[in-house]
Amino acid sequence: MKLYYAPGACSVGIHVLLEEIGAPYEAVLVNLREGAQFKPEFTGVNPKSKVPTLERDDGTVLTEYPAIAFWLASRFPTAGLMPMGMEAQARALEFTDYGVATMHMQGFSRMFRPANFAPTEADHEAVKARGAEIFGKGLALMDKALEGQDWLVGSYSFADSALFYLCFWWNARLNKDLPANVAGHFARMKARGAVQRVMAAEGLA
Amino acid sequence: MRFFYAPNACSIGIHVVLEEIGKPYEPAPLDFKNNAQYEPAYVAINPKSKVPALLRDDGTLLTEYPVIAMWLARSNPEAGLVPTDLEGQTRCAEFLDYVCGTVHPQAFTRQSRPGRFALRSEDEPAIVAQGRELAVKYLGVIDAGWRGETWVLPSGYSIADSALFFIEHWAARRFGIPLPPRLAAHFAAMLARPAVRRTLELEGLPT
Repeated sequence: MKLYYAPGACSVGIHVLLEEIGAPYEAVLVNLREGAQFKPEFTGVNPKSKVPTLERDDGTVLTEYPAIAFWLASRFPTAGLMPMGMEAQARALEFTDYGVATMHMQGFSRMFRPANFAPTEADHEAVKARGAEIFGKGLALMDKALEGQDWLVGSYSFADSALFYLCFWWNARLNKDLPANVAGHFARMKARGAVQRVMAAEGLA
Repeated sequence: MRFFYAPNACSIGIHVVLEEIGKPYEPAPLDFKNNAQYEPAYVAINPKSKVPALLRDDGTLLTEYPVIAMWLARSNPEAGLVPTDLEGQTRCAEFLDYVCGTVHPQAFTRQSRPGRFALRSEDEPAIVAQGRELAVKYLGVIDAGWRGETWVLPSGYSIADSALFFIEHWAARRFGIPLPPRLAAHFAAMLARPAVRRTLELEGLPT
């Protein structure tokens, strides 16, 4: 397998899943700062110009964080990343979708790239504040879900990798506080060998 | 089962799934124009203030379009709305994620609610234009990456089709964006399905 990633991007969560699984893979860096995602070498692989992108051993390409996480967890069941039973699987996908599509793409994107939302520069601070509000609301929902348990759906699953990258952005990159249960989750994630290996490999440790 | 939706919102795709399954459900429309999604009564049920949301018979709530669609399809296997193999389920999830995570919020929200992006009204036309441009681009990505024949997945009709339907319906009927050939044929095939016609009627939209 080949993981196309950018250091510290949301692909870091998929990188963690691959390290948890332990099957051979190659990590291919896509330099987003230089716009490598829009160059033919990459658009030939993924016309959506996004990371994470996973090229599987049969040469087919998988995109979309939740779909890649779902496939990896199902395809490598011994890693124990796919919760047992339809109900827990639905909940794991629900957390992943909310984390990626709302907290990341609606919340964090407003904070990180306000110009993609409001064209007038004078409005960018207000856009960032709105992004922080959306992200904070998401953190509160995650905090409630973690009440009395270590992981989002009871046992460790692919959903925890999504919350991990969001916490990494909020806490390690932006130096903002996490609510108590989420902070505990982030600490447990950072203690995992797979996470430590990924942080070192992406130069984030 | 109680189905929270807003007429002509993306929840119309889940409405189609429910009509395809054909089991009883209780429709609970929310008036988005009057911000009913932010009323305490609804926030108590769904703190995300979004539709679609599904209150199941055991009293638990399910949110997020791809998750509701997948759960409905998997818990009603006789309706045949999701592939039974891992590869098919993964491609189905990938398609739903693209439609609900990118195509809808990036391209169509810019056109339907430019005020969520621009903070001053004079910037809104640029946001709407950008949304239209993105819609054309994303519809092109879907058209170029088409894997199936009539339907999105090679295995046949699925929950991926009802998700694409709400995008096609908005593009063609709300914003006058021309559909690429495969999508135009897909939209016509969707409009011919009795479940789609019933859904449009139930939401007070022309069939």
